[in-house]
Amino acid sequence: MSMDFSIPAELTELRGAFADFLEREVRPLEQEYTREYWGPSLDPEAATPLISQVRRRSADAGFYAPYLPEAAGGHGLSVLGTTLLVEDAAASGMRLAMVAVAPPNPAGPSTLLLKLPAHLWSTYVLPVATGHQTMCFALSEPEAGSDAQSIRTQAVLDGDEWVINGTKHYITNGADANFAIVFAVTDAQKRAAGGITAFVVPREQYRVGQIQYNMSDSHPAELFFDNARVPADHVIGEVGMGFLEAMSFLNAGRAYIGAQALGLAEFCLTSAAEHTRSRTAFGKPLAKFQGVSFPLARSKVDIEAMRWLVYHLAWRVDTHQDALAIMGDASITKYATTEWAYEVADRALQAYGGMGLMREGPIERVLRHLRMLRVVEGASEVQLLVIARTLGL
Amino acid sequence: MKIAVCVKQVPDTWAEKKLRDDDSTLDREAADGVMNELDEYAVEEALRLAEANGGEVVVVTMGPERAAETVRKALSMGADAGVHLVDDSLHGSDALATSYALAEVLAARNFDLVIFGSESTDARMSVVPAMVAERLGLPQVTFAQKVDVDGSKVAIQRQTEYGYDDVEAELPAVVSVVEKINEPRYPSFKGIMAAKKKPVETLTVADAGLDAAKLGATAAWTKVASFAARPPKAAGTVVTDEGDGGAKIATYLTEQKFV
Repeated sequence: MSMDFSIPAELTELRGAFADFLEREVRPLEQEYTREYWGPSLDPEAATPLISQVRRRSADAGFYAPYLPEAAGGHGLSVLGTTLLVEDAAASGMRLAMVAVAPPNPAGPSTLLLKLPAHLWSTYVLPVATGHQTMCFALSEPEAGSDAQSIRTQAVLDGDEWVINGTKHYITNGADANFAIVFAVTDAQKRAAGGITAFVVPREQYRVGQIQYNMSDSHPAELFFDNARVPADHVIGEVGMGFLEAMSFLNAGRAYIGAQALGLAEFCLTSAAEHTRSRTAFGKPLAKFQGVSFPLARSKVDIEAMRWLVYHLAWRVDTHQDALAIMGDASITKYATTEWAYEVADRALQAYGGMGLMREGPIERVLRHLRMLRVVEGASEVQLLVIARTLGL
Repeated sequence: MKIAVCVKQVPDTWAEKKLRDDDSTLDREAADGVMNELDEYAVEEALRLAEANGGEVVVVTMGPERAAETVRKALSMGADAGVHLVDDSLHGSDALATSYALAEVLAARNFDLVIFGSESTDARMSVVPAMVAERLGLPQVTFAQKVDVDGSKVAIQRQTEYGYDDVEAELPAVVSVVEKINEPRYPSFKGIMAAKKKPVETLTVADAGLDAAKLGATAAWTKVASFAARPPKAAGTVVTDEGDGGAKIATYLTEQKFV
């Protein structure tokens, strides 16, 4: 029997240390600054220095980007281990905790950076691994969202430099990043099959356009590449292989998105259960009405199902080499966790009633974030497309 | 330099603590066990001294089987080796018996410096470091908010109500530390993995050559005669302000002899 659902002891110990870190160092900052930065007059940019502070402190304490190998400033933590930390950060309910581990936030170091030549690591890997710099992932364009291979940004080799022209939009952390991973067409005939290349482009080579205010608390930006130039060695992996390189890291990314959705769902359920136990209406606690308690019980079912999808995906990524074979599982996990977590948050909001709608309440922000997760990093419909393909459809 | 850090597993600081009905000792099963918070500062200080001066850090604990988790945590933080004294006959030992057991274990291992947290969050007596020093015949420099080792001397800033005293002692010596001294590190994943390979010596009372008659509840000089649960919170007095709220509160405080 090789089926074993137990969490390794060292990961349980690591979670304990991370929980101490969150309670001792992040919780006080969260409490002190919540009203200032996330109150009714929302000013997300004002929180940037605070977010940087948490990021650097978490890196010093050993929890930031722990999945990177030691040579890249990380701890060589498994995808399962990282998944558990992402879940715990989200389950804490603290906004600032969400930056403490890095993924799935694209501001943190993408493992794609490890495909850069070794002499560029001190410029592009170590500064983001230690939380001193951040990056962004520039794929989406005004005319290419889910259909990513339709991007129009082009890169042309000019001597020993690549010249990049095009527009990216909806780029998370676009305004603050020190550099971007940029996907551009290098062979218009081949496109996804060998014609799209990933480059690393420093901030001084592109222009940040409009901040694109959306429903979440972190606002993406437009990026303009107008004859942006990078040396020929600033290619991630092989020329033309940008999509294939990205694909091999996508599965872990789906596990981290799932873990965040799972953690946020746990936070919503814990909060709502506590609220319904203490809030009285019609002479008894809300929790004593089945109309209130049954939706929360359903949420518990969803959460346990999400948990095992996420842990199983993480385990498969850790133990199986063939990324393509896992893509179906990754899509199932991304689809199920983000869709179900949104429903869990929606039921929690309903249990809170009017307070659930309030900016100052615990649920409203989480619901907005979870709504976003159903769209970003592969919309739910894109996941269904991948899942349908695994059925030969 | 060979440094010992004595640590204790205590019930989680935030958990409701209770005494056992059968023998009036602390119910250690009722709550999660964690490393006594001040002991984390002691471990951190030992690690910093060893990093600065070279040397080895050995973590020493006395406690039930699951206190091994606390030894492991210290090893994950960076300590080199552990000693865990565990035996049913230790159950119910008071501070005096604890100091006897720890002193014997420490004496057999020749440390240059022994570091304690200045108190535990369960018993809060702050006497064990002093008792151990006395039994070992070593100088005790306690309540340190800063520790420096220079050759054969240890110099500390002893925290006081008015500031601090500078105190020095010859090594070997016993030091206890307060939380002002440093910021304890968190066990990292690398540290946790490394800790798995570090040696932990598990000793029984017989292994340590201790006299069982001096240990446990029957040998304790102090005894819990009886205990009772904290009474439930009584309803408070509500003062309704009808323009004279201040005067009413002042009257109440005077009646209660607060002012």
